[in-house]
Amino acid sequence: MLKTEELQINIGPQHPSTHGVFRMLVTVDGETITDLKPVFGYLHRNHEQIAEQNTYLQNMPYTDRLDYFNSMANNHAYAMAVERLAGIEVPERAEYIRVLMVELTRILNHAGALGFLINDMGMWQTQLAFGMREREKILDLFESASGARLMCNYFRFGGVARDLPPDFLPRLKDLLIALPSFVDELERLLRENEILLQRSEGIGVLPRELALAYSVTGPVLRGSGVPYDVRKAEPYSVYDRFDFDVPVGTVGDVYDRFLVRVEEMRQSKRIIEQILEQLPDASGGHINPKARQNVRPPVGDTYARVESPKGELGFYLVSDGSGKPYRYKVRAPSFINLTPLGDMCRGYKVADVVVILGSIDIVMGEVDR
Amino acid sequence: MQIQRGSVIEVARGKRTVRRIPGQGLLDGMAVVWKHWQGSFRKNVSFSEIHGTFTMEYPEEYPKLPEAYRNMPILLYDEETGHELCTSCFQCERICPPQVIHMTQAKDPATGKAVPAVAEFVIEYDACMSCGFCAEVCPFDAIKMDHDFELSTADHQGLTVFKEQLNRPISYYERIAPTMWTEVRDGALKKLQGNIKRRPDVIGMAPNLAEKIAARRRELAAAAAAAPATPPPAAPAAPPTEARKLTPEEKAAKLAAIKAANAAKQAGETLPAAAPAPPADEKAARLAAIRANNAARQAGEAPAAAAPAEPTPATPADEKAARLAAIRANNAARQAGEAPAAAAPAAAAPPATAAEAAAEAAPVDEKAARLAAIRAKNAARKAAEQQGE
Repeated sequence: MLKTEELQINIGPQHPSTHGVFRMLVTVDGETITDLKPVFGYLHRNHEQIAEQNTYLQNMPYTDRLDYFNSMANNHAYAMAVERLAGIEVPERAEYIRVLMVELTRILNHAGALGFLINDMGMWQTQLAFGMREREKILDLFESASGARLMCNYFRFGGVARDLPPDFLPRLKDLLIALPSFVDELERLLRENEILLQRSEGIGVLPRELALAYSVTGPVLRGSGVPYDVRKAEPYSVYDRFDFDVPVGTVGDVYDRFLVRVEEMRQSKRIIEQILEQLPDASGGHINPKARQNVRPPVGDTYARVESPKGELGFYLVSDGSGKPYRYKVRAPSFINLTPLGDMCRGYKVADVVVILGSIDIVMGEVDR
Repeated sequence: MQIQRGSVIEVARGKRTVRRIPGQGLLDGMAVVWKHWQGSFRKNVSFSEIHGTFTMEYPEEYPKLPEAYRNMPILLYDEETGHELCTSCFQCERICPPQVIHMTQAKDPATGKAVPAVAEFVIEYDACMSCGFCAEVCPFDAIKMDHDFELSTADHQGLTVFKEQLNRPISYYERIAPTMWTEVRDGALKKLQGNIKRRPDVIGMAPNLAEKIAARRRELAAAAAAAPATPPPAAPAAPPTEARKLTPEEKAAKLAAIKAANAAKQAGETLPAAAPAPPADEKAARLAAIRANNAARQAGEAPAAAAPAEPTPATPADEKAARLAAIRANNAARQAGEAPAAAAPAAAAPPATAAEAAAEAAPVDEKAARLAAIRAKNAARKAAEQQGE
């Protein structure tokens, strides 16, 4: 093969396919990637330090802004951490509402993420528009329950801010009628699409061992064939009461991650249906009336994790007995899933970098914090 | 593989339904797109459909916002009595995550004692994160979240919003959130009645309700005439405006004032004295004064609060810092208070100096006051933190 001179190029930080201000320092030999260095930090906004200056409750709206696609999942992880630290009980009904919101979040995240992935492959806006259309319905539901579409700030220590409005469940049932046909249609549109197959099959392979070594989580890890899901591995909240499957891939390429996400939407829908069955019998209100919002947890530390749509989202909190966290650390799935990007891209073409990045599904708000 | 309540399923990867002719997958996809295109002619479909549109033609059409929707905080007043619900309990100021709410407590001018009413109330809308905590913690249901989302402006200063612009009648909130208001109405009005009894003169009345205030004054005067007592001191007349945004005239006036001030500064010669202080400066000065006041209050509270809790005596450094903060805050408050007033006596002087004074004095004072306020606040916080440890 003809040896050519290597060239270093920057993709980003301002680039429509980098999903935010993110720079990839790419070394190419012709069209082939020989090395890739992810460079981030452009969106750093001192989240953890700010959180150590705030009281526990004041941090809740800040967690919305981590992964701004999935504010409910972020809220859940943080609320769980503080509840564990302060020993606050959560009523059953509140747990169901929480899980309901987080599973809706998973559907809207995957609908959006797949749209962006297809967008990165060059199918401009088509799937994105269809995905956003479904996402919009879920955001409407969030708005009616929490008051905001994206920055929900819905969870409180010991429950959620307010009970579901009366029109919430009927609208949710309508939405659930549409969901299966949406997912089926998505598959029909893309699954056997020759262009998608060309662009994703065998591209960006992340072998199982490498994925484990990088401690990747979420659909990226499951796409590599590791059946690891925090909801199953360490059932939190009321997840042990639902039947659902864990989809895994076999090869670990972009196509597997795509299929895993599609399947996860189906499983989320299954969970929501079971919630709707069990919710009327759940005891307690939407919030524990004894729970105080200005908590002063006893001295100690805790780590609480949830399966956010992007992977394992964890909050590590250290309390010194005052009203503010002494140490506040976020284990952000986007950040950790991004680290093997160089290994995933090596050997593929420049055009594949964009697709591989899209298949990881990152949000820069969470990567840089 | 079976796991608890479920199984691990491998995604069906290679299993193509039917491999007919090359390009079949693309054609299938095109059929989906075709269906969506057909559906785009049907409007306002329900949630249960995946084709059709539910977009709306904003701004001709307006979205129907749910009651819980929250955008920016507003303050409520009761139209019947003309009184504001806020009692300046500082709960919202304390909980606000980005710390954009500032207020001062009203004082009875006769006795100097605090009154359950708010004198000044500022929200910096530009830094507000719309979390809704202020409305949640308010024990008097005085602060609520507005549904108005059309706040864009070219005037950044205009996003520092004072009480006059924040005030809304209860009927407004009742219209946007009927059930949420019904839940709290009785309690809120009862608390308000109790607070009105403790408010002398016209303190705590919404400044835009000029007739109400006048009526209340007449009432008080009649009562005073009946009973031999000192007449209530005249409060400054409040502007009867509730303008949310500056009107074009006001904007023009402001621009003219700024231009005049600049011209005066540059030329340094005779000019018709620019009468009103530029509103921007005034606003900043007011904000600084409120902040300084609060910082002073905090600094004053900090040693007092820490003293019984802390077995070890406060270190001299802390005390010093707190005292310094208090003094600085006091000075800042005084300076800021004088700044607008300074323009008035200067008007008697020759026109040139007056214009100069108005132009020069305001920005410097404002800057100094703001800096002092920030310093005071930081020092107070530091002192409080050190005490807490």
